[in-house]
Amino acid sequence: MTLLSKAITALGGLLLGHACYSAREHTTLLSLRAATAATLTSSPTAAGSLPLDIIIETIVSTFIILVGLVLGTRPLRPIEWRVWAGKIEREGEEGFTDSSGAVDKDFVGNPFSLLEARPNFVDIRKQRRDFSEWVRKGDAQRAQ
Amino acid sequence: MAPSALQPPTRLSPAAALALSQQAPAILRSSTSIAYPPPLNKLLSGSENSEKWLQYENLIMSCLRTGDDQAAHACLRRLIVRFGDDNERVQALRGLVKEAEARNNGALEEVLKEYNQILSGNDTNIPIAKRRIALLRSMGRLSDATSALVQLLDFSPTDAEAWSELSDIYVSQGMYSQAIYAMEEVLVLAPNAWNIHARLGELQYMAATAPGVASGSYQQYMAEAIKRFSRSIELCDDYLRGYYGLKLVTKRLLIEGALAAKQTEGSEFTLPDTNTIERLNELATAKLSEIVRRSLSHDRGWRGYSEGDIAVARDLLGEDESQVTR
Repeated sequence: MTLLSKAITALGGLLLGHACYSAREHTTLLSLRAATAATLTSSPTAAGSLPLDIIIETIVSTFIILVGLVLGTRPLRPIEWRVWAGKIEREGEEGFTDSSGAVDKDFVGNPFSLLEARPNFVDIRKQRRDFSEWVRKGDAQRAQ
Repeated sequence: MAPSALQPPTRLSPAAALALSQQAPAILRSSTSIAYPPPLNKLLSGSENSEKWLQYENLIMSCLRTGDDQAAHACLRRLIVRFGDDNERVQALRGLVKEAEARNNGALEEVLKEYNQILSGNDTNIPIAKRRIALLRSMGRLSDATSALVQLLDFSPTDAEAWSELSDIYVSQGMYSQAIYAMEEVLVLAPNAWNIHARLGELQYMAATAPGVASGSYQQYMAEAIKRFSRSIELCDDYLRGYYGLKLVTKRLLIEGALAAKQTEGSEFTLPDTNTIERLNELATAKLSEIVRRSLSHDRGWRGYSEGDIAVARDLLGEDESQVTR
């Protein structure tokens, strides 16, 4: 996906560069011809605009670049509450990782889980007891 | 994957808490050990981010849990240097460390006395008030804890966490109607919290199945439970907990089918008719089996559920099947 978008963007850039180059060449050529024509006849005729194919190439290449960039964006976040909530429950952290495998910085899981976890009311002594119990159980299992 | 130190660790499994507290030395090492007091910190240590302090706070909790008191003290020292000795949150964290290290009841009384002293100086110190309530509860003085909590809610009625704690205390004493009331207050403050809707549904179900419930209120509780679970599903696609509860309630109602036929008229919440309950049950079964199937086969995008939850859901579905084959 990202490779495709990069390729399209690069192609668009190449075309745009080509269009710019053509436009520059065209104006140089035109002014040269105008200079030579001016020495022959005194009428300033060739102030003309760019040829149609260069204009079309510029516009088309801009659109190609746009398509490439749009294809390369990350998938949009859901804007419906239930879809977003479902994504959190169903996919967990996985749904909020980017292509490099790092979890989004602002991902907190279910933001309302705090209301059930209640960190300010934590019973630290019970947690300590439970933990040492868990360690002892693990040791006993390993000993068997 | 190791859990992030940015989220409160109270609900982590023991293994995850251990992994988190083992990150502590690395995190302590990665940041400079000298934290400068406020006017100097901007000049000397560059920009600081709030995440760092949140990390320290969570590390203290998980280190205390795993018994790594040294790391907890190191984190606490940095917070004290940064925010000062009389910051309310720092005070609460220091109390937490003392509670965890208390060896006997006398030491706990000492900590409690300290809390009382702080509160007598400033009785709107909410973090300390919460610690005091938690300590009272931990010491088994439930009535004291309840009255202190009610007092706290009196002057801070928009504290959803405190309402939730109150509900939990009532549940532990079997006072379901009070617990439901407190949970409804949480919902008033956080109306879109799908897990709280499911929790309320669970409370209604517990209240309905408690021994010695009159038949009228039994039906009302069950009807409410269906509503709450349905709402939690409405707020969250593929919510395992919501579907599990819905299936549990509708299954029980279908088994007692005859009872549902003669409802008390005029009560606020009446049960839906049998047809609707049956369809709800079918929906919950279908959804649950889809979740279990896809989660067990580790499909992409279905790995967020905890293994324990999936196992319990599978047991519930299995029960169903064995009944059908019989």
